[in-house]
Amino acid sequence: MNSAHYILNATGLARAFNRIPLFTGLDITVKTGESFCVTGPNGSGKSTLLKILAGLLSPSAGSVTYTADAVIPRDEWPAHIGYTGPMVNPYDELTARENIEFACRRESDPGRGHALLDHFGLSRHGDKKLKHYSSGMKQRLKIIIALVNDAPVLILDEPGTNLDDGGNDLLAAALDEVRKQKIILIATNDAREEQLCGGGVRLG
Amino acid sequence: MTPARSSSAAGVYGLGSDIIRNLRKDFRVEFRSRFALNIAVSFAAIVTIAMSLTAGGAPFPAAVQSILLWTVIFFSAMNGLSHIFVREEDQATALFLRVSVTTDSIFISKSIFNQVFMMILLIVITPLFVFFLQVNVIHIAFFILSVAAGGIAIAAATTILAAMVAKAGGKGSLFTIISFPVLLPILWVSINSTTGALRQTAPSYDNPVFLLAFSGFISVISFLLFRSVWLED
Repeated sequence: MNSAHYILNATGLARAFNRIPLFTGLDITVKTGESFCVTGPNGSGKSTLLKILAGLLSPSAGSVTYTADAVIPRDEWPAHIGYTGPMVNPYDELTARENIEFACRRESDPGRGHALLDHFGLSRHGDKKLKHYSSGMKQRLKIIIALVNDAPVLILDEPGTNLDDGGNDLLAAALDEVRKQKIILIATNDAREEQLCGGGVRLG
Repeated sequence: MTPARSSSAAGVYGLGSDIIRNLRKDFRVEFRSRFALNIAVSFAAIVTIAMSLTAGGAPFPAAVQSILLWTVIFFSAMNGLSHIFVREEDQATALFLRVSVTTDSIFISKSIFNQVFMMILLIVITPLFVFFLQVNVIHIAFFILSVAAGGIAIAAATTILAAMVAKAGGKGSLFTIISFPVLLPILWVSINSTTGALRQTAPSYDNPVFLLAFSGFISVISFLLFRSVWLED
């Protein structure tokens, strides 16, 4: 993993859909070793905010920068960010191992995928096509996909969705393991997931 | 960001790696479902055999044979070429694709996939058509060149259109309709070129050269425009 110290700096963030503002004037600063939680009622813009911070959407106003040794160009953000969310759907026709192989970047450790499959209890099901997975197993795989490249910034949109208690414990353990080396951003309405973070913002 | 990552060599290797990962994934998904290929090949076989039976063994003039060949190729291809992008939207995997590989690599790998798909289609359709419609090919090498150049041009022109249709939430029929005006000049030249291969006179190489040059030109333009088609804002 990249050992540089990262700083996420978002200033004056706003996003509107059809001229209706979803949020305005958000300032967020998060550094490596810190975690940040976005909460709020349904439709308040939690996923939209995370997509903006992941570079998947542009804000209506404001700016987002990631700085390591230097400011990282937006084109290069995907190489520094592990992202998962409700709309990140792996391929049903592929097995879990094949989906992980697809998500695994050139510079990443191929053994990490196997270790994560093991950690999240999916080793036995690694060669099954995803169309035979339960929703909870798919959610575990989505988290593995976000973690597999060991990216220094981790953005998780409602990571506990469909997870049972065991899955939530495994998620907490996985985040605890990497907490000190990463920026972690989580959007959630789950009190347990909120506790995984040091600070945050409430939308809506 | 390490210095190695930001170097152009690392960028090229990264792009190459992304293209290979995406191609491997697309071929796995497609050949497990065989959705696009099954529909395209079935359509081609049914139409060719139907035409052959309707003709009752009577040979068509060279120009008519050429027109019929490209009609079969066009509609068979339309059933499959859009699938590579439409599938990503239909199955809601587009965001996973976007966060996993670079935008440039998505376009290049999907273009390569469509070219391979088109070549497979041509390898199946052309001998079938030649056999069932009793086509007498005089200049065999030129015939193969004409069919291949036309196929490459169709696949090159339709890849960006497939991305547009997928983003518009459209299905196959929309793809066929918006592709037709773009493909009309390609079909025109391909028909002329193929007709030349079926006649005794020496064929002109202008037509296949035009088709290949057009393919290169439209691929470059599509590559430059793809980012604005594929990325949400």
